[in-house]
Amino acid sequence: MVEERRILYEHLDVPDINTFDVFRQYDGYKRFEKAIAEYQPEDIAKMVMDSGLKGRGGAGFSTGLKWSFVPRDIKPCYLCCNADESEPGTFSNRYVLEKNPHLLIEGILICCYAMGIETTYVYIRGEFTLGKKMLDAAIKEAYEKGYLGKDVRGTGLNIDIYTHPGAGAYICGEETGLIESLEGKRGQPRNKPPFPAVEGVFSKPTVVQNVETLCNLPFIVGNGVEWYTKMGPTYADTRNDPPTPDPNTGTKLYCISGDVNEPGVYELDLGLTCSELIEVAGGLRGEEVKAVIPGGSSAPILTHYELDTRLDFTSLTLAKSMLGSGGIIVMNETRNIVDCLLNIMKFYAHESCGQCTPCRWGTPWVRDIVQRIADGDGRQDTITRPKFGVTESGRWGDTGETEEIYEDLDLLESVANNIANVDTMTWNTICVFGIAVSWPAVSYMRKFRPEFEAAIREGKLVTLPVAEATVPPEENYAYQQRFIPKEFADL
Amino acid sequence: MSDELVQIETPFAFNEENQREFDELIGRYPIKEAAMLPTLHLAQRQEGYITPAVMKYVAEQLEVTVMKVKDVVTFYPMFFEEPVGEYVIRVCHTLPCALRDCKVVLEHLKAKLDTDIASETNLAKGTTDDGKFTLMKVECLASCDVAPVIMINDDLYKNLTPEKVDEILDNL
Repeated sequence: MVEERRILYEHLDVPDINTFDVFRQYDGYKRFEKAIAEYQPEDIAKMVMDSGLKGRGGAGFSTGLKWSFVPRDIKPCYLCCNADESEPGTFSNRYVLEKNPHLLIEGILICCYAMGIETTYVYIRGEFTLGKKMLDAAIKEAYEKGYLGKDVRGTGLNIDIYTHPGAGAYICGEETGLIESLEGKRGQPRNKPPFPAVEGVFSKPTVVQNVETLCNLPFIVGNGVEWYTKMGPTYADTRNDPPTPDPNTGTKLYCISGDVNEPGVYELDLGLTCSELIEVAGGLRGEEVKAVIPGGSSAPILTHYELDTRLDFTSLTLAKSMLGSGGIIVMNETRNIVDCLLNIMKFYAHESCGQCTPCRWGTPWVRDIVQRIADGDGRQDTITRPKFGVTESGRWGDTGETEEIYEDLDLLESVANNIANVDTMTWNTICVFGIAVSWPAVSYMRKFRPEFEAAIREGKLVTLPVAEATVPPEENYAYQQRFIPKEFADL
Repeated sequence: MSDELVQIETPFAFNEENQREFDELIGRYPIKEAAMLPTLHLAQRQEGYITPAVMKYVAEQLEVTVMKVKDVVTFYPMFFEEPVGEYVIRVCHTLPCALRDCKVVLEHLKAKLDTDIASETNLAKGTTDDGKFTLMKVECLASCDVAPVIMINDDLYKNLTPEKVDEILDNL
């Protein structure tokens, strides 16, 4: 069985770790002191680049690369720490904020030193009242001890951290939505480019990082890049010739919930498989795994055929899903996928910010179609049309046969694909919220089509046995373009 | 919403403590408008909900138009434009909580408080007659490991069952 490797969460359960004195006993702020004593800011940025640290917020973009886009000559430059954790299934940041807020402050200090930043805003979602209280108290303590404020520890650095409460909008977790909200407006995302690294909050260069990403920094500085890169797999990016290394280094705070015996946050090296994680989380509650959502509710669903998929950024992307924020939701054989999709679509219809027409109208439409199917009023008229599938030449296309289709399922796919097309990965909206809606809608429907068809046919929700609820991979388009990455060392 | 169209009977102003907090807030940002969300939170804590008088006051303090404040207030679900109960009960009903029977908790709360569920445009629907409780459904509260959860004002309650809900409500 895979062992937990606690780094970020190592001292989480130490009593009073939220106070400066106790945190100090466990090497607190010593990594920051090491950074300012031994390294130049450029060295820290290079270490982060070499460590292969990928942003833990959802997109999985290389942190070092993001930092390299920030122009060094435009001041002031801001850091926005994204603590607006609102992806369903994700809850790791909450524990950091509530139990170990000094670790986040130390991470922010290192980032500020590396990037020459003087002001940091921590955007905390409005519902995290306890987390905000704890972080505010920790910030106050850090000011008193001279780790924040003017002339930090006699180095001449001026660093300020302010907390900024959100007010319950999911979209403010998107980086440009967060910036708009921070500026005191509606949290409607901006067009990119310009990227926040060039023009972000108050039209100045801005680094936006998730809490978990920043919490990794003290350990990269404290223990060195070599120690850090030993954790997690490094794959080969074969799009380049010769292949380049694609690191998925470090640990990840996997949040697992749903039908497992011991839901919670588990800190593990990146790259373990789905079934290993379920085992770590006390095993499945129920008889069989029906489905697993691997990265928060926006991620395409995995079926029981895909439980050997490794949970890291590259493997899941190539499996046509995503690690996202690491919120894993497990469903057992008693769950109805139509019902689950309905729940998620209600969430997205509620949370669409209303800025772009395809999303503003599309999300309620998708919800209404799924609602209709779940209510047993799914449109039954079947139409005959040419059947698409794997042709004799082994490619996807018109097979020359005809098939009967369910009108509502086609409509669902068409509406979802017009918000964002999951096959071409293009979205008709400003932000990626569009794809976060279409991905679950289309993937649930394609992978669990028999269950949707049964609901329409029978006029009520029918929970099929696991083996019948999903189409095997060899007959299903949804699995067609999956790849398993190769480890760089094996080439 | 121009000033002439809205009758403001009693003007709103921060009390001394909140004024101090507001003065500290405003110094954090290079532009005043950026203090909008924390200021509205502060005002809502004092007044209970965001009245037209609050919007006017906040607009003056932040040197923006009243319309801009209204714009923000209507966007965020945590700001109320109608009176709410003394205790606001937020029941999470997103997937991880749904997988752990949040419906049972919600139905139990509905029956116990003898009220409907508030919608964003009609908070009165979910408020009890004595004005003590407002029951509303919210999206994910980021505590899926201890689902189902509810939040009563600022406090989170975990791993709920109908019996636990009874106990919590009795102790309020």
